[in-house]
Amino acid sequence: MKKLLFIVSIIVAGSVTYGQEPVLESFAGTRVLSNHSIEMLPKRSLEFRVSHKFGDIAGDAGGINNFFGFDNLADVRIAFEYGILDNLDIGVGRNKGIGLISGVVDGYAKYRILHQKTTGMPVNLVFVSSLALPYKPAVSDSTSVASYPRFLNRLRFTNQLLVSRKFSDRFVLQANVGYNHRNYVDYLDGNGLLFAGVSSRLRITKTFGLLVEYNHVLNRPEGVAANYQNPLSVGIEILTGGHSFILNFSNARALNENLFMPETTANWLDGQFRFGFSINRQFKL
Amino acid sequence: MDSMLKNIAQFTLFFSIGVVIFAFAGYENHLSSYQNSDSNAIPETLEEALLILGDEKPIHYIATADPDSVRMGMEMVYYGQLLDESNDPISKYFVCTDCHNQVLESANPADESADAVLEHSMTNNIPFLPASTFYSMYNKRHWYNGDYYKKYGDLVAPTRDSLYNAIQLCATQCSQGRAMDHWEIRAVLHYYKSLELKINDLVFTEEEKQQLGNWIVNDKTSAIALLKTKYNDTNPATFGTNKTPEVPGYEPSAKNGEYIFTMGCLHCHDPQTGITNFTMDNDPLTLRYLYRKKDKYNNMAVQHITRYGTYAMSGRKQYMPMYSFEKLSEKQMLDLLHYLKVEDTTIN
Repeated sequence: MKKLLFIVSIIVAGSVTYGQEPVLESFAGTRVLSNHSIEMLPKRSLEFRVSHKFGDIAGDAGGINNFFGFDNLADVRIAFEYGILDNLDIGVGRNKGIGLISGVVDGYAKYRILHQKTTGMPVNLVFVSSLALPYKPAVSDSTSVASYPRFLNRLRFTNQLLVSRKFSDRFVLQANVGYNHRNYVDYLDGNGLLFAGVSSRLRITKTFGLLVEYNHVLNRPEGVAANYQNPLSVGIEILTGGHSFILNFSNARALNENLFMPETTANWLDGQFRFGFSINRQFKL
Repeated sequence: MDSMLKNIAQFTLFFSIGVVIFAFAGYENHLSSYQNSDSNAIPETLEEALLILGDEKPIHYIATADPDSVRMGMEMVYYGQLLDESNDPISKYFVCTDCHNQVLESANPADESADAVLEHSMTNNIPFLPASTFYSMYNKRHWYNGDYYKKYGDLVAPTRDSLYNAIQLCATQCSQGRAMDHWEIRAVLHYYKSLELKINDLVFTEEEKQQLGNWIVNDKTSAIALLKTKYNDTNPATFGTNKTPEVPGYEPSAKNGEYIFTMGCLHCHDPQTGITNFTMDNDPLTLRYLYRKKDKYNNMAVQHITRYGTYAMSGRKQYMPMYSFEKLSEKQMLDLLHYLKVEDTTIN
C-alpha cells in the first residue's frame, strides 16, 4: 500500500504546467492495453472494439509447432461501448473466456470524477465498475469453479479507481487500485482480491507510442498464490486517425479485468506470454 | 396656525413648480415635442440603399428581420439545432461555425482576398476558415461558384442563384446532415438578414462619397454601380493541386503560418472540438509529423489535404473541406509549411 501511495504522490506532484484547459488525449483509447485507461468516450459516441490474444509464443505450448501462438486463440472480446455523457461511459462485451470460465458476457460503467486541467486540477480520477457473467452451462463436477450451484455464483465484479497525470505531450502515468470479487471460487482461494497497478504511455511520434501495464494482486491466499501470476503487458500503439491499433505482449490470457486480474496463471519467465491486438472504431450517433 | 398653513402652502407651491420643471427637463424632446419622420434619413443597410435607388430585390428578399426567426436561425447555425431541442440536429458531424465565420473577414468588403482576410483576422483574432463568412452572405447573389462543381457536380446548379438552395446543399452535403425544413431555412435566412452589409461597412474615399451623394440625386444607375463595387456579390472558388507553391522572392512568415495553423487547422483538429478523428495541436510531435509528411502524395501531406480536402464515405461521413486559392493563397501555404519547419526543432 505504501508503494501505491508513493506512486499516486508522484503523479499528483507532477511538475509540468499547462494553460487553463482540460488536458486531453492522455491515452489513445479507453484501454491502456487490457485494463481501462482514464480516457472517456465523447458524448453520444459509440465505439466498436475487437480485442484478440493468441497462444503462448514460447514455452511448452509455444514455439514453431504452434507458430509462436498464432495457431491458438487465448481470448477474444467483441464489445460495444457508448459515451452517455462526456463523463459517463457504459459498455457490453462478449469474451471467449479462458479455461473453465468461458462464454463470458461483461458490462461496465465508468465515470470521470476529476479531469486534469492545464492549471488547477493536476490529475484525472476515474471510477470503473464492471461485471462479468459466464453464461455457458455449468459443469457436472461439483468441485469445479464452473459448477455454479446457483445463478448468482456465476457473477464476478471489479471496481477500480484510476488516477493519472499527463506530464507532457509524450509521457502519461496512470495508477489504479481496485477490488475484484468472484462469487464462486476454489476451496482455498479467496472471493475478494485487492489489486493495484500502474500503466504508462510514452509517445515516440505523433502516431506511434509505447505502452506498459502491470497489476499486482495484493491479498491472494497463500494456499493458491503459487498458482497465479500478476498480469504484465507491454505494447505499442499505432494511430491512423479514426482507428487505433494496439499491439501487445502479455502473460495474461484474458481480456477482461474480471478474468485477467484473478485468473492469470501464465508466467513470462516460462515463455508463457502471447501476442495480442485490439482495434477500435468510433461512430457518432 | 395661519403662519404654519402659509408655510405649508408655500412649500407645496414651490415643490409643485420644481416637480413640473424637473419632470419636463428630464423628458425633453419626448413630452414637450414630437418628431417628424425623416424621409431623407440615410439608409442603414446596403440593401435598403440599393432598393431606394431602384435596384432589384433578391430572390431571398426579407423586408425586416424577425427577431424570433433570427434567434432560431442563429441557434441552428451555432449549435445545429434549437437550444430547446424541439427540432432534430441538422448534422451529427458539423455545425455551420466549424467552417463559417459570423463576422466581416476583411477590413474592406470589396477585398476578400486571402491576404486581406489573413491580415484582418490576425488583427481581430478571427478564425481563418475555408468557407465564406455568413456576414454579408445575404448580400451575395451567387453561391457554390467556380470549381465547386468539381466537388459537388450537378448538385451546385440549383444553388448558383439561390441562397435558399445553397443552404439546403450545405446542410445535406457540406455538413453531411439531413435536409432542412422550410421553416428552418427561413429562420437561417432571417439570421443572414441580421448579418447583411451595412452602409458603414463599405469603404469609400472622400471623392466617392461626394460622387455618391450627387448620383443619388441625379444618376441612380451610377450610384447603384458605385455601391456594387464596394462589396462582392460572388465569392469565386479556384481549387488547387498538391504542388508545393513556388513564389520567387517570397520570404515565408512563420508568424502567419502559426496563425493559419492555430486559427485554421486547429479550429477543427483541436482535440477539444471533437470534430475530427485526426487531432492535432501546436506541440512538436504534431508539427514534426506534418512537416516530415509534406512530400507524400496522400492526406498526411499538408499541401495535399489542404488543397484537395477529403470526401465523405460510408462509415466516415465527416470530411475535410478544401481551401481554395481565394481562401488560402500560395504565399500563405508557404507560410504554413515554414511554420511547421521552424517548429520542428530537430531540423534546426
